[in-house]
Amino acid sequence: MRAARSAVRDLPLTIRVPVMVAGLMVVVGTLASWLVLAALVRTQERHVRELATIALDGLAASISAPVSRRDVWETFDALDRLTRRGGGFSVRTAVVLLPDGTVLAASDPGRFPTLRPAPREDWLSQGSEGRAIVFDDAAARARVRYPLGPANARLATILAEIDTRSFLAQRRRVLYLLLASNSLLTLALAGGGYLLARRMLRPLGQLTEAVERMRRGRDPEIDPAACGSSPEFRSLFRRFALMARAVRERETLLRRLAEEERLAQLGRLATGTAHEINNPLAGLLTAVDTLRAHGHDPAVRTTALDILERGLLGIRNLVRAMLVAYRDNPDDRRLSRDAVEDLQHLIHHEIAKRRLLLEWRNELPLELPLPSGQLRQALLNLLLNACQVTPVGGRVAFEARAEPQAASFIVEDEGPGMPQAGRDLLLGDEPLPPEGFRGLGLWTTRRILSQLGGRVACETTASGGTRLRVQVPLARERIPS
Amino acid sequence: MVCSGMITRRKWLAGTLAAALVPRAEDRAREPFRLGLTPVFLDNDVRLLDLLREYLEPRLQRPVQLIKRRSYQEITVLLLAGRLDAAWICGYPYVQYRRRLALVAAPLWRGAPLYRSYIIVPRGSRARALDDLRGTIHAFSDPDSNSGYLVTAALLVERGESPGSFFRHVFFTYGHRNVVRAVARRLADSGSVDGYVFEVMRAREPELTDACRILRRSREYGFPPVACRRGDAHKPSIRALRSALIDMPSSPPGRTILEILALDGFAFVSPDVYASIEVNASLLARAT
Repeated sequence: MRAARSAVRDLPLTIRVPVMVAGLMVVVGTLASWLVLAALVRTQERHVRELATIALDGLAASISAPVSRRDVWETFDALDRLTRRGGGFSVRTAVVLLPDGTVLAASDPGRFPTLRPAPREDWLSQGSEGRAIVFDDAAARARVRYPLGPANARLATILAEIDTRSFLAQRRRVLYLLLASNSLLTLALAGGGYLLARRMLRPLGQLTEAVERMRRGRDPEIDPAACGSSPEFRSLFRRFALMARAVRERETLLRRLAEEERLAQLGRLATGTAHEINNPLAGLLTAVDTLRAHGHDPAVRTTALDILERGLLGIRNLVRAMLVAYRDNPDDRRLSRDAVEDLQHLIHHEIAKRRLLLEWRNELPLELPLPSGQLRQALLNLLLNACQVTPVGGRVAFEARAEPQAASFIVEDEGPGMPQAGRDLLLGDEPLPPEGFRGLGLWTTRRILSQLGGRVACETTASGGTRLRVQVPLARERIPS
Repeated sequence: MVCSGMITRRKWLAGTLAAALVPRAEDRAREPFRLGLTPVFLDNDVRLLDLLREYLEPRLQRPVQLIKRRSYQEITVLLLAGRLDAAWICGYPYVQYRRRLALVAAPLWRGAPLYRSYIIVPRGSRARALDDLRGTIHAFSDPDSNSGYLVTAALLVERGESPGSFFRHVFFTYGHRNVVRAVARRLADSGSVDGYVFEVMRAREPELTDACRILRRSREYGFPPVACRRGDAHKPSIRALRSALIDMPSSPPGRTILEILALDGFAFVSPDVYASIEVNASLLARAT
């Protein structure tokens, strides 16, 4: 029962309204049908009483004289004619019972032998003599005892069994008609209710779509004309438009904040990069000096050139990674394995500074149909976050691999575990970060992944750190074999 | 002279009275010929009555009025009282009033002016002989019917019984068809019925006759005749009626009537044909 109620509650309003209308109609139809049938039964019974009175009054008038002279044939002839009369009202059996209980004549002499005591049948010996008709619908008959002659000089009693099959058939016909008409009416009203509910709730559907668009970060603009003529929906649409504008403004602000966060991150990276460049710079200058002083020595020259080459390659990799990370390229729709590989260079400073052990497994194919810039930004955020929370000397692991329909990434740290607020921000579906929360990196990551249709799962490792599993569905292209 | 004058005056007076009281031939022609019919088996056959009237009127050159009554007695009384010119009556009233009645013609059934009386029982009855019906209910047709009463009553009288003593209860249905109905519906345990009516009903209402079984067939008796008052026997209208009845098979309308009645025709018969009925009537009269 509860399950059924819950199932009904879960139905959409466009179904619930017609179901409720149909249910109401069934109740009303049943009640109305019952009232109609009850009235019909009363009318039929009155009709039977009237017809029986007319028929038996006529019979009594015609058989009084024959009964008084005990004329079997005349009495039988009258009973026989009465029971053989056609039409809707028919007397099935009629018996004339003399005061001593003898049958003078009956319409069915085989069942009620002439001038013999009446058979032991209840209706012959019992029942009121007030011409009351006893209806027995199960046997499709009505029985009546009609006294012949005054009470103090009773001539006989006429016992008549009236065939009520035609009345019952009429009742059945009316019942079927009511059932058919009620069913049709119920279906029509349920259909009408469905159409009306759909029409009334159409603005709600528009609003739901707008909310969903807003949730996905798209334009939630809603056509004001779609609210129809309902003042409630007009007011709701107006309020929604105001809310959408407020959300848009807040989102713009957040995006700006996120951009500032990114620039701040860039600043931090630039500082790290300066260190990264500065460190080999001394060695490079030394190699130049060595070349200048001992360049004629082939062995020294070769060694100095190797040092120069390594140092310059390191600087080039770093610069290229930064260029890739921070160059606005909206047309970049393909993620290369190298682009993911370059992320190592961008976090190298953090790794080195905190003396972390980086476990790096990049099993991606050469290229995947994924927006490179956005995904790298998200992964870099997660990697930098992992580096920051992992204690000095700890371990940070990264794994990237391709699945048939998605790219899968794992970022694992040995930090104290992600606080609940961070989890909510990363895993939840709130369109905006809570007021005053500092962690736009995570929010930006969630937003990017949400736009790409990705999912993030957060696990706690054996050491108490955090393992984030990111899965991003590929665009329509397939992975190159 | 006086005498002759008296005679002359009487003749004149008689002639004047006769002229005033006796209808002229054309007036008589406008008076209907009244023919009585007993319910031999003609129950509500309106078509037959129309055909009979249409057949007789041109032959009698008078309008014909067909008069039916419920019982044989009513028709017999009307005939004897001169309220009918002729009537199709039963042989029993004929022999009862044979001094006052004359035969016009008798129907021929199966080639002879004879028929039998049947005692019938319901098909499921266990009665095999008349004695098995003792103490039961018996249906007669009419107290003035030969086949529907007299034959069975005389049979019982011959055995030293009477209907009242032999049967537990008897009743009259005033129609041979009604006797068959009463027995078929088991209102009565047995009934006395005209054999001719029963045989005709076999073809026309088998649902009734099939519910019955013939327990006893009587000897042959004179078929119910058409009779008139003895004094009218030689009237032209009676002679015309006799001729019309006897000529029936020779004209298509007559044949149609005979076909409906399941008769072969009519014939002028001797009163001796009804002698056996007279014997029974005497027997019953002596017993009562």
